[in-house]
Amino acid sequence: MSPVLETRGLTRRFGGVAAVSDLSFSLEEGSVLGVIGPNGAGKSTLINLITGHVKPSEGSVLVDGQDVTGERPWTIARSRVARTFQVVKPFRDLSVRENVAIGGMFGPERASSARKAIAQADDALERVDLLEKADASPGDLSVADARRLELAKALSMQPRLLLLDEVMAGLRPGEIQPALDLIASLKEEGVTILVVEHVMKAIMAVSDSLLVMHEGAELARGDPETVMRDERVIEAYLGQRYAERARKDREG
Amino acid sequence: MRAWLPWAAAALGLVLLALGPTYVLYDAEQRTLGSVFMFVVLAQGWNLIGGFAGYPSFGNVVFFGLGGYTTAVLMVKTGASFFVTVPAAAAVGLGFAVLMGIPILRLRGHYFAIATLGVAEGMREGVINLPGLTGGNKGTTIPAVGEKATASYPGNTGFYFYFLILAVIAMLVVWGVARSRFGYALRAISQDEDAAAAAGINTTRAKIAAFALAGLLTSVAGAIYAYQQVTIYPDRLFSVDITVLMVVMAVLGGAGTVIGPMIGAVSLQYLSEWLRDNLTDYHTFVFGAIIVAAVLILPMGVVNFALDAWKRRRIALFQAVRAYRL
Repeated sequence: MSPVLETRGLTRRFGGVAAVSDLSFSLEEGSVLGVIGPNGAGKSTLINLITGHVKPSEGSVLVDGQDVTGERPWTIARSRVARTFQVVKPFRDLSVRENVAIGGMFGPERASSARKAIAQADDALERVDLLEKADASPGDLSVADARRLELAKALSMQPRLLLLDEVMAGLRPGEIQPALDLIASLKEEGVTILVVEHVMKAIMAVSDSLLVMHEGAELARGDPETVMRDERVIEAYLGQRYAERARKDREG
Repeated sequence: MRAWLPWAAAALGLVLLALGPTYVLYDAEQRTLGSVFMFVVLAQGWNLIGGFAGYPSFGNVVFFGLGGYTTAVLMVKTGASFFVTVPAAAAVGLGFAVLMGIPILRLRGHYFAIATLGVAEGMREGVINLPGLTGGNKGTTIPAVGEKATASYPGNTGFYFYFLILAVIAMLVVWGVARSRFGYALRAISQDEDAAAAAGINTTRAKIAAFALAGLLTSVAGAIYAYQQVTIYPDRLFSVDITVLMVVMAVLGGAGTVIGPMIGAVSLQYLSEWLRDNLTDYHTFVFGAIIVAAVLILPMGVVNFALDAWKRRRIALFQAVRAYRL
């Protein structure tokens, strides 16, 4: 069986700078890939390349073995690839419930009418524990609730592949656990997930494998524990001084 | 709220409007109301693309002018009857909106506004430069009366009803759009196009469809207007003033709502008439000043202002006064 997601030599240059450079990896069904890297490493661009919001300069993206390179975002979205945005993008003049209903209206299983989709939106809201605020305006939500809404919107697309761009940014420690539980239960259901995150504890907890990006390229990839011990990773992610200290610690 | 109430009010209003010309309305009043209905259509057309989809077109008059000239040229050159030319005008408006929309709807915000303005101005110059077909700057005259006329001229009462019917159709179209998946697609696009695409909305197709619908309604209004005017000139039919008026009416009434543009069209058209009758010298100045004041006080339009106040149980204006010491 072909992997749910595969990238081959994926590259995107903005002007002379390669935001993503020669990335090749694949994701099996039901696995969780954590993507980390310093700011500007190209993590969000990677998601934008997979969803078609940004077109690759080179390389290709395959979803379920199908080449979707160059397809428009809505086409890719309808093949059950859902995403969140790092900067939350609610439809601010719609209610929270209507925001989620949009996915039901235009996603892979399009509801026959707007009214039906609105009636079905509560499932996704319940999953992220936002049902109480279904009638609220997105502008009135807290940071944590705005992140939940972003997640619910992605879930309303009934994804097979879910791309999460920093859904835990700005959350308090107590708010992170429910998000992790949700990711774990989605994985249980066979959803394949790519998580971009800065909260290390969170990403270590949910990822089956880790991809470390640095200046657009792959720095290390593999089992999370091994990758996090990699010296190049420590240096790129936490800085040279920290890397030296870690080395000294290890040497006694 | 009782759902039938607005419908009952609309039905009652329509009955009164239908009986008006027979029983109460003078000729001049029918003419004024006819132009009010026409602006309801133009404002609603703009509302679809500028209000719902959030693409501020400043060139919608191009559809108005094209519709008017399609009717005029066909009636002059082929002797077609007015009603035959209406579907042709609609097709030209719709077709041109699609052709123009494909490249231009890739632009956003100010760039889109400027491009639409440019297309409308360019079209006016084009019409002026085709005197063989359009009469150029000297205008063209429809054979409305006399032996060349194919039907008796509808007169003020006739045009009152033409515009009334078209306005009712425009209202129903926008009402239907507002509650449909298409309407939600447009609203999602207006608020965040990337998120809309990520939710599976074919944003290109939805935007072009909204523009096409606007083009269709606006060009039919132009067709009726041309027949009413009998002699038409490029400077009048492609006038920027018409675009500005439809934008102001839609925005002040409430862009993206169903009844807002109607409220805007009715109130501004009557205000403008009243000012013209009562302040002969300064009427445009005062009209402009009132619009500026209204935009400052109600930037989101009358209907959205009322909805917001109702939802929050408080009045945003008073909050603004307190916050900014207006």
